[in-house]
Amino acid sequence: MISIYTLAIIFSTFFLLIILELIRKNKLSERYSLIWILFGIIMLVLSSSPVFIEKISSLIAIKYAPSLLFILGLFFLIAYSLQMTMVISQQAKKIIRLTQEISILRDNIDSSKNE
Amino acid sequence: MDTSMDKFRGDKVLVIIPAFNEEKNISNVVHSIKSGMQSEMHNVDILVIDDGSIDKTSILAKNAGAKVIKLPFNLGIGSAMQTGYIYAKENNYDVAVQLDGDGQHDPKYLPSIITPILNGTADMVIGSRYVNQSEYKSKALRRAGMLFFSGLVTLLTGNRIKDTTSGFRAINKKVIDYFSHKYPSDYPEVDVLIRLHKKNFKILEIPVEMKARQGGVSSITPLRSVYYMIKVSLVLLINSIRPGSIS
Repeated sequence: MISIYTLAIIFSTFFLLIILELIRKNKLSERYSLIWILFGIIMLVLSSSPVFIEKISSLIAIKYAPSLLFILGLFFLIAYSLQMTMVISQQAKKIIRLTQEISILRDNIDSSKNE
Repeated sequence: MDTSMDKFRGDKVLVIIPAFNEEKNISNVVHSIKSGMQSEMHNVDILVIDDGSIDKTSILAKNAGAKVIKLPFNLGIGSAMQTGYIYAKENNYDVAVQLDGDGQHDPKYLPSIITPILNGTADMVIGSRYVNQSEYKSKALRRAGMLFFSGLVTLLTGNRIKDTTSGFRAINKKVIDYFSHKYPSDYPEVDVLIRLHKKNFKILEIPVEMKARQGGVSSITPLRSVYYMIKVSLVLLINSIRPGSIS
């Protein structure tokens, strides 16, 4: 049977490769990819050294050590989706401003054409 | 009144009408402003912000003699109004008036709503249906909502404003400048009262009569009203714990 650690290592490695490939193809901007690379590396390190996460687990009274990986992953996803919502809010503001400016500009152009 | 009317001659006034699918009302609104304007008011321009309408709002407004800025899609009342304020700022207007496109605001009150701005008595004037008795009959639920907001705004600003959701208002140059930078995109009416209070702008309420919507469909339904109340309250509470500069 394949252990959760092996599975996590395989998953993290593939994940890192996919991220790198996406950056290489310019489908993911560097600005948002750093955090994903970091996350991939952390997951890879944690899953490749069972001793490390078993130690942390015993410190915070987690009986089944690999569940630490799950909880970390979950925290990361929550934090990152919050970050995404912030990015979207900022972008929405910018889109509104652009729309307003463009509409006024277009009106300026139309009225100078008519004169 | 005479002295204020004299002042009208020099000051540029922009009446901004936000309109979303108002083809049934927009011509009448623009015409009634034009016909109601006295000769002293020759510096009054009418600007319709067509907030992504899919009907003939733009064409009808233009034919009625208004200037029209058409937004390519629906941005919502706050951002549509802000477009008008940006325009007002760029074209150096002294007063900007908001007047709804559904015909419930009577243009005959334009002089009385603008005068306190020209005198310098207030930075923002709100045409209110509750200061004196007015013909406007509102439904019980709406009334309850109004009372609720009025209480909340009074609580938060110490300024007794009765008709906090009125969309009939005038602002001076300082507020135009402020609004062109910062204006809430969602639920702006009540929200800006708090913002202006924080910035020490002076708000004045004057009595106006309002009519029932002349045609077309209102965007207000009972369920939406309750949703609106909850959202606006949330926005207000968040605003009141925000530090000085409001973004």
